[in-house]
Amino acid sequence: MATHKISFNVNGIRETAEVPSNMTLLTLLRERLAITGTKRGCDTGECGACTVLMNAEPVNSCLVLAVEIDGTDIVTVEGLAQDGQLDPLQEAFIQHTGVQCGFCTPGILIAARALLDRNSKPSRREIKDALRGNLCRCTGYTRIIDAIQEAAEVGG
Amino acid sequence: MNLPHPGLPSFDYIRAQTLEQVVDLLLKHPTDVRLFMGGTDILVQMRDGLLEPKTLVDVKHLPGMTTIEFDPDVGLRLGAATSMNAVAQHQAVVENYPLLAEAANTVASYQLRNRATVGGNLCNASPAADTAPAILVLEASLIAFGPSGERSIPAEKFFLGPGESAFNQGELLTRIDIPLLPKGCHGRYLKLGRNAGGDLALVGVAVLGYPDETVDSDYRFRVALASVAPTPIRALKAEEILAGKSITDETLQQASDAAMDAAEPIDDVRASARYRKAMVRALTRRALSEVWAMLREEN
Amino acid sequence: MDAVSKSHVFPSPIGESVTRVDALEKVTGEAKFTDDLQFGAGLLYGQVVRSPHPHAIIKRVDVSRALALPGVRAAVTGEDSDDHIGLYLKDRYIFCRDRVRFVGDPVAGVIAVSESIADEACRLVEVEYEVLEPVLDPLQGVQEGAPLLHPDLGEYVVADFIDPKPGTNIANHFKVRKGDVEAAWSKCDVIVECDFRVPHVQHVPLETHVAVARVDQTGKIILWSSSQSPFAQRNLIAEALNMSQSDIRVIAPYVGGGFGSKAGVSVEGTAVVMARKVPGHPVKMRLTREEEFYCAFVRQGLIARTKVGAKSDGEILAMKTEYYWDAGAYTEYGVNITRASGYSSTGPYRIPNVHADSYCVYTNHPVGGPMRGFGMPEIHWGIEQIMDMVADELGMDKVAFRLKNCLRGGDKNVTGMTMHPIGLAECIEKASKAINWGEKAPASAPHKRRGKGLAIMWKAPAMPPNAGSSAWVRFNEDATVSLGIGGQEIGQGSFTVATQMAAATLGVPLDWIHISAPVDTKYSPYEWQTVASRLTWSMGNAIVQAAEDARRQILDIVAAYWDEDPNDLDVKDGQVISFKSENAIPLKDMVVYGLPLPDDQGWHGGPIIGHGNFMPTYITSLDNETGQGQRAVVHYTTGCQAVDLEVDTETGQIHLLRVASAFDVGKAINPDQVRAQMEGGVVQGASTAILECLQLKDGVPQNPSFTDYRIATSVDIPDEIIPIIVEVPQDDGPWGARGVGEHPMVPTAPAIANAVAAALGVRILEMPMTPEKVFLAIQEKLGEA
Ligand SMILES: Cc1cc2nc3c(=O)[nH]c(=O)nc-3n(C[C@H](O)[C@H](O)[C@H](O)COP(=O)(O)OP(=O)(O)OC[C@H]3O[C@@H](n4cnc5c(N)ncnc54)[C@H](O)[C@@H]3O)c2cc1C
Ligand code: FES
Ligand code: FES
Repeated sequence: MATHKISFNVNGIRETAEVPSNMTLLTLLRERLAITGTKRGCDTGECGACTVLMNAEPVNSCLVLAVEIDGTDIVTVEGLAQDGQLDPLQEAFIQHTGVQCGFCTPGILIAARALLDRNSKPSRREIKDALRGNLCRCTGYTRIIDAIQEAAEVGG
Repeated sequence: MNLPHPGLPSFDYIRAQTLEQVVDLLLKHPTDVRLFMGGTDILVQMRDGLLEPKTLVDVKHLPGMTTIEFDPDVGLRLGAATSMNAVAQHQAVVENYPLLAEAANTVASYQLRNRATVGGNLCNASPAADTAPAILVLEASLIAFGPSGERSIPAEKFFLGPGESAFNQGELLTRIDIPLLPKGCHGRYLKLGRNAGGDLALVGVAVLGYPDETVDSDYRFRVALASVAPTPIRALKAEEILAGKSITDETLQQASDAAMDAAEPIDDVRASARYRKAMVRALTRRALSEVWAMLREEN
Repeated sequence: MDAVSKSHVFPSPIGESVTRVDALEKVTGEAKFTDDLQFGAGLLYGQVVRSPHPHAIIKRVDVSRALALPGVRAAVTGEDSDDHIGLYLKDRYIFCRDRVRFVGDPVAGVIAVSESIADEACRLVEVEYEVLEPVLDPLQGVQEGAPLLHPDLGEYVVADFIDPKPGTNIANHFKVRKGDVEAAWSKCDVIVECDFRVPHVQHVPLETHVAVARVDQTGKIILWSSSQSPFAQRNLIAEALNMSQSDIRVIAPYVGGGFGSKAGVSVEGTAVVMARKVPGHPVKMRLTREEEFYCAFVRQGLIARTKVGAKSDGEILAMKTEYYWDAGAYTEYGVNITRASGYSSTGPYRIPNVHADSYCVYTNHPVGGPMRGFGMPEIHWGIEQIMDMVADELGMDKVAFRLKNCLRGGDKNVTGMTMHPIGLAECIEKASKAINWGEKAPASAPHKRRGKGLAIMWKAPAMPPNAGSSAWVRFNEDATVSLGIGGQEIGQGSFTVATQMAAATLGVPLDWIHISAPVDTKYSPYEWQTVASRLTWSMGNAIVQAAEDARRQILDIVAAYWDEDPNDLDVKDGQVISFKSENAIPLKDMVVYGLPLPDDQGWHGGPIIGHGNFMPTYITSLDNETGQGQRAVVHYTTGCQAVDLEVDTETGQIHLLRVASAFDVGKAINPDQVRAQMEGGVVQGASTAILECLQLKDGVPQNPSFTDYRIATSVDIPDEIIPIIVEVPQDDGPWGARGVGEHPMVPTAPAIANAVAAALGVRILEMPMTPEKVFLAIQEKLGEA
């Protein structure tokens, strides 16, 4: 199986890697680069735990081939805080108990970040719709939606 | 028991440079080469062990594959690899083909729609493909590029069976052309899943209606269904009924019954055939009523 | 023990909605789950060959072709399983030896340098089976002459409160005989009889099971696992492999959702057995989502036959129940669910005459294990519907009917235990009021019907009588505190509540307390398991004791230093103060280095470490024939949910408008987290009620993936969830607290069913209430009409 040399940014840091064709972006992040904030919940695009930003748009990293990220910018949950300053979404998730086991949290934060970037004042309906690809078995979503709304209100 | 692979089986990835190269690869290795755009169908199928291609050829970066162009005299040209989100958010689509945007938006989740392409949805030829009913009622053409150049396949001739489409050996989809729509038309795509959003369609119904004085009812409707037959289908009998007599509640009901009769669903793990049939009727009725209300409001 | 708040715990974080102590780690991606740990180049991967048959004899297993594949390091088969394993009934081998009993049963394992090579190698293992007739239904399973799953049942090691019937498929039979049911029927004005069914569902934690095992060159084992039960895992594996508990170390990082599926031992055992073949190498076993559906615990299926009789004034006189649990291939855990459901079979009602039989039946289905509620969601599905049906027959309001019959403090319950004070009636009143019970509200469209319903519940922690907890607190130089606990953080907030309790008891600021995590059986204090909603109560008591112990040491040292009476001293906000002399000294000046004695006489004190433990000491057994006894459980948590919903009659879709959820938690140590449990519970409960079912055909799961096993997403949740906290203190709970982790999903399904019945006049007797099922039920009713 052929390998491919790729270079890309992860959370603002330039990386290069040689990856086999069948490696997914999720596996590259977690198992090659040990950037493990991004989670694996299904490997089939259903649960959203693996959501990362690829050129500022959210994607299921379990269904992106590593070779495809050549030349792109990837942002994971570890890249949300800037200069030691938490993202307003992260603050709001802490304040509103938007977290229980925390396994869905990284993917949800990324999906929410992307939502607020394209729609700074989403309605509750729009928030729910933007999260429908992120399963959470613990929270019942209510507090997650509250937190996103709060972050939007403070202009996050 | 059918356990999937814990990861993707091995294959080689090739990023295509030209259409001709793709055609060449497809002709030389008809069974070992598969095309790849968003990968949301094919990667899952490979992980499940249903497909084991030796090579995936990524065609989404070829020129024009992600272009969306609207010409007010001709219609919409959609590159095959335009993502569901790109389509649903494109101004020309939202303004002129809201039905297509609506259908695209029912697919899975926002993040998946960033990768899932309209072309992939059609090429995968699943009976449940959400954009297929829209493509059928919009009477689009699928533009294939192959050994003898470009060819246009009308949507209604495209779907042959589950996973089977009308491509010839060596062809790939490059574009979807959607003609200008009749004046004053309105459309709806209604989808029923097991939960409130993000599920595959148990039943999908697309309806397009427009004034047409050449028919007895003064209105024409096009009706297409997903997930209730081996392929996405047009419910032609229902369309005839709606053209044939003045539109009343009773006509709408008769047409919905006809749509139900057109459906030949199966019992599967997602729903029974009986329920699916009943839902074809209910959703068709609902979509027709809504479209009819919009048409009446304007005329 | 005096665990109730004293003056020294002021200003107290108890009852405050402090933010979660694990939230920062979890929102930054820093929180480590088992699969996040890095093991370096020596890491190997295990994959398991699983039975494709629900029931078969293993004739031959040949791993030679697998071993020949480059990259494969070793393989294991049933011969590598030493002894049986299981919590309450040791009825399974880690790898099957002679027989497979469900589709997915582990037959062999392969260890290789990569997951994909291990996967490929598994496909090269040859297994020859002799297929046997399977048991696919518990009613079939109890019949005489049914194929036997466990011919050796009589030889298995079993807990003394479990009663297996060798020579049958009945792994446990629990009975209640109270009063005289047969005589009571004739006194009833209304009798309702009905059968209810609950299918298999799954826990669906977002994180699938992961375990990494390493056996060192001396034979000692380290196991990293996503576990609710590090100590129980250590113990069970030690017993199964005939090893000392001290030679096994279980390290349990954060758990990405458990709900019971990560209690006891499941995949961890396979990882350990595989790791023994490759000493020195960690071996990782992680389930794909599909394997999780096939092979991890499921919630047992249930067939419930129920009969209830009442007098015309609404008083319930008698109840008769038969539970047939579809317990699956192994019932090591399920036997106790059977017992718990038997001793809770009346629900929280005062009923003088009770006859109940609860049978745990082996079937060739996936293994039934504990799931949030431990049998209670399943039995309340029927109990709370039949109670509505009785009220309907009586023409009585359902709230009034429940208020009339529900248990109150001082009542004798089904097993003869005197109920401690409970706030159930208050829960009923508040929950029903929150949805404007009794007021008719219009539906939002002509094709929709609106209805309201409610359900009440009770649940006790189901566990061995002597399940214990322990804790320690250790001061650091700057007077911050390391808090050692063996209970797990699985999302329910145990670390936060533990922190609050330690800070309150010690008298230090909240952020001085640091949980010594991850739980590591080598260093952490013993905890039975993180199950049964028992941590806040049981572990909480141990923490309070440990903190009291440390506090006592501190006061003694400072009292000696000041030459005062320790009773005049207190610790407040990190300082020791004297009410008498108004002296004050910061803790950091003395908690590690002690204090000098006067006149250079030397030193006094030393590093402060406090210990505490807790174990209920008052649990007695139940009579084998009657199920009667003094006190079979520690306490019951009770509650009520009321639902206001709409049904689309054209599609059968249920739309939840409002769900009020009221529970008596004794004392909400952290009200916000209690509410969070209630919200999450409602949604999980609604999800199982409407969407979920592991569809089994001839023993084979038909929908083992998220594509076809749907769980509630953000767009499926109720428009509004109204959490209501009721606080009637528990005498032996810390600050009066009792558990509430599981309870909020218990009444949700029957409350929805009751509201659907109110909306449509149609009763759904088998979960889930899918749109299809509801629609077809409406059609059937129309057909009848
Ligand atoms: C979690 C999840 C949820 C989903 N939900 C929905 C849903 O709600 N509704 C729905 O309709 N679908 C759904 N899908 C299916 C899938 O996302 C869509 O069908 C998608 O549009 C496929 O596009 P793609 O670009 O990802 O296809 P790919 O996987 O890249 O390709 C699909 C097929 O087309 C072939 N192909 C690719 N490009 C070409 C070409 N240019 N010419 C000819 N053949 C080509 C491929 O070989 C493959 O067989 C879901 C999938 C997942 C994983
Ligand atoms: S792991 Fe990618 S969506 Fe579940
Ligand atoms: S917090 Fe556990 S899955 Fe969302």
